[in-house]
Amino acid sequence: MPVPENEPGFRDLDDVGPSELTETVVRRDDGDDGLLARKTPPGWLWLTAIAAAVGVYFAAVSAHDFILHLDGQVHAITCSVAPGSDPVLGASGCKAAMLSPYSSFFRQSYWGGIPVAVLALGVFAFLTAFAAYLALRRGTSRKDTGFLWLATLLPVGTSAVYYYLATSEVGAICQVCAGIYVASALTFVLAGVAHWRAVSGGPGGLPWGRYALWFAEGVAFVGLMVLVYVSAAPTERHTLSGCGRLVETKAEPGLLISLPRAPEADTPALAVLDPLCPACKAFDQRVAQSGLGGRLATDVLLFPLDKPCNWMVKESLHPGACAVTEAIHCAPEDAQAMLDYAFAHQEELLALGREDDAKLRAELERVFPKVQGCLGSARVKAIVNKSLRWAVPNALNVQTPQLFIEGKRLCDEDTDLGLDYTLNRFLNGPKAEVTP
Amino acid sequence: MRIDVRHIAALVVGAAVPAVMLSSWLGDASESLAAAGPSPRKVAVASVAEEGYCTANLKQIVRRVAGSCGLIDASGGRGCQPADAAKVASLSGEDFNALFLPLADRVRIIQFDQAKADLDEGAVRAVEEAWADRGGASFFFVVARASPEGSVDKNRELSEKRAKAVLDHLEARFGDPDIKRQVGLLWLGEEFAQLDETFCQWKRSRGDQECDAKQINRSAFIAWIDCSI
Repeated sequence: MPVPENEPGFRDLDDVGPSELTETVVRRDDGDDGLLARKTPPGWLWLTAIAAAVGVYFAAVSAHDFILHLDGQVHAITCSVAPGSDPVLGASGCKAAMLSPYSSFFRQSYWGGIPVAVLALGVFAFLTAFAAYLALRRGTSRKDTGFLWLATLLPVGTSAVYYYLATSEVGAICQVCAGIYVASALTFVLAGVAHWRAVSGGPGGLPWGRYALWFAEGVAFVGLMVLVYVSAAPTERHTLSGCGRLVETKAEPGLLISLPRAPEADTPALAVLDPLCPACKAFDQRVAQSGLGGRLATDVLLFPLDKPCNWMVKESLHPGACAVTEAIHCAPEDAQAMLDYAFAHQEELLALGREDDAKLRAELERVFPKVQGCLGSARVKAIVNKSLRWAVPNALNVQTPQLFIEGKRLCDEDTDLGLDYTLNRFLNGPKAEVTP
Repeated sequence: MRIDVRHIAALVVGAAVPAVMLSSWLGDASESLAAAGPSPRKVAVASVAEEGYCTANLKQIVRRVAGSCGLIDASGGRGCQPADAAKVASLSGEDFNALFLPLADRVRIIQFDQAKADLDEGAVRAVEEAWADRGGASFFFVVARASPEGSVDKNRELSEKRAKAVLDHLEARFGDPDIKRQVGLLWLGEEFAQLDETFCQWKRSRGDQECDAKQINRSAFIAWIDCSI
């Protein structure tokens, strides 16, 4: 005869010894013999474990891509949910996500920071192991699956937050991250079904002691991954002493553009920027997001990679950059606003520059009426030319962006993922000798 | 609470696999970082221009003119007289002019009225355009001439005035203290390297007016020279 699930007097299955469980016999506390007619079907728990394992896969791929970049070199990045697909070199949503400040924590303390993917790896690994354990365990009840379901809220909640950040802040969704979001959602749903299908844990309160132990195990999983990461991540970086030094630190008035200084700006810096260079825009954002940009008293050398004014490039990488540079030199007191505008409208300005330089100049004059009569004049062209020539005695690389702090150049390897760490070292660390 | 072997096994396997993977990848990254060493220069370095037309002869003339005209050490006198020009060029007038043929796109010919050295509106515009079109050039040459009417001495003096009119305007307009180290003046009078009518096809400050052999020599031939000296 079937036994009602919630009949008083049932023993919690976790209190049943293994030998008793092999017979699936539970004796009632009141002395009557009785059989536990139902046990939790393991199928849904196995499916939950598989979904969590998918999360492990995507978290591992993401962590691997991140770790690849710890050597400071250029690497392709996995940008597909399909296993085995070719990684993508160059700009992509995945790269944007990786370089965003949300991809890792403690960036000022560790080069690149501790990737969130490592934490995700720990969480999914725990969920996989735990779901598998519950599937294997004979006495699994709703009280156990309840903890599993609750635990899956962590990745699904984190995924929701990261999806919001990706769409609202980063402006790009990486496919691997999307894989993690889907795995999180699947794990949550399947764990919910497993919970719904599980047998009751019987009377009595929740087993808080057991929950605390499992919670500690989950924390230990994540802690272990972080510990492994922190202890094994490369630490010896030859680039932290910089890559070259300015020869001429002084420039005639008007050649460099002084940006507004924050009150705490105490360190002279020179940024070599092209207003229409996407990498410069991203670099500018990273400096701002690092929280250390306010310490820099920044002058800008505008270095348009655009042939009409820059003889050092063989072709215009950013058509229209000469016109925008002229505009900024026409109204240097509004340089910050104009740079912000150029970065915010980079694609439109580049398209205009490619199409018709005159239209671009008209647009600049419309947005910034102050530059009318100056833009395109021989005088401002001469200033732009002279500022570009300032790069010659300094033997600057023909590239943007570049950042010099107290005359010392940040190596290219340290201007993206390792920017926060390197800036912190440059601003707060011991003064190292510069690598020639 | 009993020790559950399945529980322990699941935890150990679940933690060990990703931990070993992480450790292995980080080890590879450390090796890669150590092997990378200081990044080699893979990009061009800022430099002044050195165009294809910078032949050895042209560079020799530019160097001599720059030296003789006080550009290189900025301490000597200003400009080179016709006799100097012939000497520094060590070329016939025709060969001298031929050296500048590859600069056709860079050169502007500033035209003057007969026996005058004043810049008209078109001349001012052309001088400023030429100056702004510097690119990576190091020296700005002003080679002034006079048409053969009048005496040799008068024409020498007139061509000097024409060359200096260009320099004076640049100084007044741009106020750049470096101008004196950048502008080389040559005044040739009517004695050396007269231009032939083919130069009427070049960019002239009076491009909308008729041009003949006399008119084209009442001029200052100005251009940035894209040669590294």
